[in-house]
Amino acid sequence: MSRRALVDKAGQALVVALAVLGALPVVLVIVDIYAKGIPAIARIGLVEFLTGLPPTPLDEAGGIGPALVGTLVMAVMGAAMGIAVGFPLGVYLGAYRHERLAAVSQSFINVLVEYPTIAVGLFVYAAMSLALPAVNPVLRALLGVEVSQFSGLAGATALAIVMVPYVAIFTASAYASVGRELWEAAHAITGDEAKALFVVLRKAAWRAILASFLIGTAKIMGETAPLLFTALGNDYYYASPHEYVTGPVGAVPLLIYYMAQTNYEVQNEVAYGAAAVLITLVLAVFVLARAASRR
Amino acid sequence: MSLRVKGLTVSFGGTRVLDGVDLEVPRNAVFAVMGPSGSGKSTLLRVFNRLIEIYPDVRVEGEVYLDGADIFELDLQNLRVRVQMVFQLPNPIPNLSIYENVALGLKLNRLARSRRELEERVRRALERAQLWDEVRDRLGSPASKLSGGQQQRLVLARALAFEPEVLLMDEPTANLDPVNTAKIEELMVELKRELTIVLVTHYPPQAARVSDYVAFMYRGRIVEVGRAGEIFTRPRNELTERYVTGKI
Repeated sequence: MSRRALVDKAGQALVVALAVLGALPVVLVIVDIYAKGIPAIARIGLVEFLTGLPPTPLDEAGGIGPALVGTLVMAVMGAAMGIAVGFPLGVYLGAYRHERLAAVSQSFINVLVEYPTIAVGLFVYAAMSLALPAVNPVLRALLGVEVSQFSGLAGATALAIVMVPYVAIFTASAYASVGRELWEAAHAITGDEAKALFVVLRKAAWRAILASFLIGTAKIMGETAPLLFTALGNDYYYASPHEYVTGPVGAVPLLIYYMAQTNYEVQNEVAYGAAAVLITLVLAVFVLARAASRR
Repeated sequence: MSLRVKGLTVSFGGTRVLDGVDLEVPRNAVFAVMGPSGSGKSTLLRVFNRLIEIYPDVRVEGEVYLDGADIFELDLQNLRVRVQMVFQLPNPIPNLSIYENVALGLKLNRLARSRRELEERVRRALERAQLWDEVRDRLGSPASKLSGGQQQRLVLARALAFEPEVLLMDEPTANLDPVNTAKIEELMVELKRELTIVLVTHYPPQAARVSDYVAFMYRGRIVEVGRAGEIFTRPRNELTERYVTGKI
């Protein structure tokens, strides 16, 4: 074998080794969680695990029902809020990327995406402290409800803030990648800039935009830190659905965080089972995102 | 006159792309604007529907009238309904079906009062673009499945669905094979009975085949305008003669 071919082979081997090394931690984490989580789920049964209450130290088994409901409620609310702000922001950043204000906004968004999410939780905690004394009397008068300092709404707001930069950056990238021909076609079809951007070009870039929504949702479903000071956690179901918005709610990542730290085996097991469920949910959303962007 | 241009100057940043253009485009004719690359033909076309305004740092000075009305005073949505455009590359909207590609503009501009009228206008536009027979059984299929020539006729149908007064065509056959080029050229000749066509081309034989009038542009200025027959047989300007004989 010539020296050139030898170097080529060695280079290829190095690249493969680095790829394996990079993927190894992710694979090990997934394997470890499923190896310990699936038996925990099997011991009580999938339906019971997904709907049951978390175990006390004296119980023999338990589930993640309230936490799963909380995660789904906050993910839906957080995604709705995050998309409502992040999508138009992303359209602006993508469509007006040559303008100075858009460039400055893009810099702020780039910082926000790296911002510690626990600080986002603290910010929402502080904002709720300031806002609730003024908002609650109005809510009580209009709807007969009050929002607690710790609530599903606070948790969803924190998750929305975490999600906004992801949606904005991916949407901006989707719009920026639309070719000049389509850009012109959109504006030739309508003289209304908003319709050209939000209808025609949205349809043109829809798959990439949908992928951005899904990736953002997957990201917030796994977040723990922003929920510590906002959703707080709750081991029980509420009688009224609106209480998932107004009262403290559980979340799967929070449940894992609390139950993994105890000295009780039954709670550690449920933490592993919950992690397996969470990983499956997040992976499913990522697979959907990949499928959406590839079709 | 369908379009009248007086002293039109367009600059991008500090670069002047059009320099004092004066032009009159008669109704129901194919008016070809020809010239070498970079002469400002496509920029001129994009002034007529004010598409030029989507570009940053652009400055437009001068007057342009559509059927006697100042286009810069017209409501932009109204102007773009009246002046439609077909581009060099076929650009159907991705992820949309053949039907939706034609219907979208009508919906956005509320040009159809009922679903039945919408369907009728889509069908008529596809017929006028000579595409109906090829797609009537697969209107719901993605437009991206069509061939390049079919996509360009679909884009033409999208424009015709508006029933515009003026159709701008920016080198519409530049990426088509001879068969599809011939189809588009036949359509131009047919369509001029109902509307005015401004055709940009850098291919003099095409201008000779389909146009009634020709303007020759060079470096942002109109060098010569006249009836196609005169421009190609008895050009008054030496630059025009050199261009039509393939020397520049």
